[in-house]
Amino acid sequence: MAKDSTSIYYTEGLPVPETPAAGKAPKPWEQTDVIGKPWPRVDAYERVSGTAVYPSDILLPGMLYGAILTCPHPHARVRRVDTATAETMPGVRAVVGPETREADLPWSYRNVKSKIFPPVCRFEGEPVAAVAAETPFQAWDAARAIQVEYEILPHVSDERRALDANAPKIHDGGNKVKTETYSRGDVSKGFADADVVLEQHYRTEAELHTPLELHGCVANWDGDELTLWESTQGVYAVQSRVAETLGLPLAKVRVVGHYVGGGFGSKLRTSRYSIIAAVLARRSARPVKLFLPREETYLSMGNRPPSNMTLKAGVKKDGTLTALAFTCLGTGGAFPAGGTSLVDWQIRDLYRCPNISTECTDVYINAGPARPFRAPGHPQGSWALEQMMDALAEAIGMDPVALRLKNIPTVSQGRQGSPPYTTTGLEPCLTEGARQFGWAEARRSLGAAQHKGPIRRGVGMAASVWIVGGGGPPSTVIVKLFADGSANLNMGASDIGTGTKTIMAMVVAEELGLKPEMIRIEHADTGTTQYATPSGGSKTVPTEAPAVRDAAVQVKRQVLEMAADEMGLPVDDLAYEGAAVASRSRPDRRVPITGIEGLRKRGVVVGVGHRDPNPEGKSINPFCVQFCEVEVNTQTGEMRILRFLSANESGRVMNRMSFDSQVIGGITMGIGLAATEMRILDTEQTGKLVNRNWHDYKLPTALDVPADITSAPVEMPDAEANTTGAKGLGEPVTIPTAAAVANAVYHATGIRVTESPIHPLRLCSLLEQQTKEG
Amino acid sequence: MMPSFSYVRPGTLQEAVQHLSAKGAVVHGGGTDLLTCLRERIVDVQKVVSIQGLKDLYGVKETAGGGLRIGALTTITEVAEHPVIRERYPGLAQGAAEVASPPLRNQGTIGGNLCQKPRCWYFRGDFHCLRKGGDTCYAPFGENQFHAIFGSGDICYIVHPSDTAPCLSALNAEIEIAGPAGRRLLPAAEFHVLPEDYVMQETWLAPGEILTAVRLPPPPPGLRSTYRKVRARRSWDFALAGVALALQFDGDRVAGGRVVLSGAAPVPWRSRPVEDAVIGKTLDRQTIAAAAQAVVADAEPLAKNAYKIPLFRGVIEEELERISRP
Repeated sequence: MAKDSTSIYYTEGLPVPETPAAGKAPKPWEQTDVIGKPWPRVDAYERVSGTAVYPSDILLPGMLYGAILTCPHPHARVRRVDTATAETMPGVRAVVGPETREADLPWSYRNVKSKIFPPVCRFEGEPVAAVAAETPFQAWDAARAIQVEYEILPHVSDERRALDANAPKIHDGGNKVKTETYSRGDVSKGFADADVVLEQHYRTEAELHTPLELHGCVANWDGDELTLWESTQGVYAVQSRVAETLGLPLAKVRVVGHYVGGGFGSKLRTSRYSIIAAVLARRSARPVKLFLPREETYLSMGNRPPSNMTLKAGVKKDGTLTALAFTCLGTGGAFPAGGTSLVDWQIRDLYRCPNISTECTDVYINAGPARPFRAPGHPQGSWALEQMMDALAEAIGMDPVALRLKNIPTVSQGRQGSPPYTTTGLEPCLTEGARQFGWAEARRSLGAAQHKGPIRRGVGMAASVWIVGGGGPPSTVIVKLFADGSANLNMGASDIGTGTKTIMAMVVAEELGLKPEMIRIEHADTGTTQYATPSGGSKTVPTEAPAVRDAAVQVKRQVLEMAADEMGLPVDDLAYEGAAVASRSRPDRRVPITGIEGLRKRGVVVGVGHRDPNPEGKSINPFCVQFCEVEVNTQTGEMRILRFLSANESGRVMNRMSFDSQVIGGITMGIGLAATEMRILDTEQTGKLVNRNWHDYKLPTALDVPADITSAPVEMPDAEANTTGAKGLGEPVTIPTAAAVANAVYHATGIRVTESPIHPLRLCSLLEQQTKEG
Repeated sequence: MMPSFSYVRPGTLQEAVQHLSAKGAVVHGGGTDLLTCLRERIVDVQKVVSIQGLKDLYGVKETAGGGLRIGALTTITEVAEHPVIRERYPGLAQGAAEVASPPLRNQGTIGGNLCQKPRCWYFRGDFHCLRKGGDTCYAPFGENQFHAIFGSGDICYIVHPSDTAPCLSALNAEIEIAGPAGRRLLPAAEFHVLPEDYVMQETWLAPGEILTAVRLPPPPPGLRSTYRKVRARRSWDFALAGVALALQFDGDRVAGGRVVLSGAAPVPWRSRPVEDAVIGKTLDRQTIAAAAQAVVADAEPLAKNAYKIPLFRGVIEEELERISRP
């Protein structure tokens, strides 16, 4: 127990927020003492020192290691699996394959049914058999010793050829998943009204998720109860899919994911390895650890789909947009997986435009299924729309920022009924970002026209909106106040590295007047915490923070009621001051929290908080505008990014430190799309992935990312959105990055790079073409 | 996960040579490339022979003749930072500094950098290619954006991955080799194997032979050396195109020297057309333009690496301009 209250209470002598009456939601914070400040992570020491136990660190007594043998071909029928040799190898305790009864389980991708070990493999990396052995080396040796007879089937690995008449059919119904269309107004009239109409084709390459921690889990049975330690963005999502597949009650499946070494969307989904680990563990009656090697995660754990886009745009001389017509061809791989999901959202929603049509066609190819990848679809659509805006601005002789300012919407036009945004941050992000970046001056002094030598500099910018980011129900959170005044925060949500735990501790600290370090957090465990949706969609803070605040308020109400009884004063007369409860009318009547008899006797006060619904008829969206400066060596095609600025309207800034970290991380990831990353399949020959390691799949290094990154929050606490006023940030920060780089390269060189990535391979050829054409 | 192998760490060169004469024996120097080769199972290994116990293979020493002897186990970082190398052979120091990333430079050795396996993804990946004893090269009709534009012999299209090898070749270095038949010296320019000579080996080291050191001749008068590398990202990457220049200047005039390309061919590629274009000339705009044209005159690009044509032109132009201004 702490010696005195000053060691626990952060805000002693400072007011904590007023406790609302029962049934009333708390008012938005006016002044904050903790929220909004730069606060180091509550688990920084554990993460840096290595004491944080990630799922891949789990070591259980008697634990075996699993290995999955996967199909080396992009399309093949599995004719025969012979495990005889593998079963007799040293250390091997279990071997499972398509013939194993308890592994004969269904697995589906949306409406398309398959199996854990499918008879026909439709992408390289589909599971064929699996082994558990005493050491990882024995497991892999045994997996390699499994003899598989494949009938290799013809494959199609390029989505642009998937609908050709002679393309091999991946599913019985053919290779088209679906075509989705959207329209409003009259596009042909819009183009007729335009002074300038431009049309351009764009392409972004597929990117591979590369979280530092690999995908995998440890499975352990205790009787008929299964525990999984899994590297996941959502323990409840894993619980429900595993329980469903294995035919277990939810209560018998405990999934724990206290730490996760990155996910970026690829750990939102449940994977076959979790089922395979559970089956191996049951068969061997031992715990089994099964983590995929990096090559396998690149094959089967998702991707940002490639996008082939055409955008036609009309604008009047004064900058008014009159029409946008957009088409996209994409692929989510061999199963339905959202190959064109949300690619058209920027076109539909970002700028005021009465006449719009979009058409997105999703096709199958023999490659790993896509998974959500930080802001699914958005950076691709942004690559097209924001380069087009740049081109339109030039065509009508207008500044790119000014053109955007001319077309600011106040309602979400892409949604049914065009609901108003709770706050529209687009305009302040544009003006404030441009001011802080020094846009007007940089635009004048740099650019292709200003330079003679081989080194050219330019600046570019791009704007964006994120489709969600307001969060919403359900969420149930528990805050426990102990007799010494310290607290325990219990929530189901995962902290996927974004600083969720720290922000939630700050909310408790703000509300109860506690120091954040006096709060212990239990989270991401289906056995001990409450249901939460997976951490993704930039919704964790706006979803969980109001529930945490509500739970803290419930604690305060109960403490006030206890104190009212003990002090013989009406509860309305009492105020919760953090370290103490005090009478409003009689300032001499004051009881320290630790002096409240009820709390001491009971030992704990439990507050249960819920997330209230979002306001009806409103759209809650974060906005992001980014500016950058680049340098291009026109002799060699090398491009260097010199500086970046991100202006973000994400409601209230909860923790300035993790806010800025998100900005830096999002820009880094966006630079990957812009300049270095692409999945390369051996399309013409084997259809196999050729760049499957960290040398060949090129993530940006520290030298590819500028040291000069400015985070410029445009803070507009959104009182309508939720009781904390916060909106999402993690995805907005990566949406406009690549397009901003492409626009800066255009400014520097006069070359419009319409296909990602902008590396010397591409830029050398384009520069040569430019020289030839004079 | 890895093949099973035995591991020995002999204390003398003689023992090491003996161990290496066995079938399936490989050298372990810094181990940065060996480890990935083992994991990717691209070499058939039965015995790993660590040479880290051989004292004579460490360090940089000045030789009696005024040159330098760089022991094979000298790390890439040591080569990049050595004051004498930086002063007399700056091209080599620059080449070493451009290798991989700081951790790999700290662990990797100059000997290993010269003996490393190629990075072709068909060779490294799950493809039974010609270089691994298969019957086909996947590059000509496949994903060949990082492949050779010279010297393939239409057999194998790897590019040699070393950044130090072209510098050593340009500087007229010699490779010191110890083997069952004793010691021998080989010019650095003749150390690597073209596919037309033998497709399954990258160096002329015979079974049992160890690269023990690199010997640099004393710098000739007027020597200027540089290395320039262009890559797809700014660190931890191999050359898309690079050039090592070691030119002797007599006033403004190039009196002699060598031009060796990286990222161009299965071996460090000596560009005689560039040498012919610059030797005997002053590096004025005309000469440089002619050299830039000459560098790719004989190039044979594949479907996806034609960008290397303007890229090599640009690199030669930029680098000759740089070396012309001491």
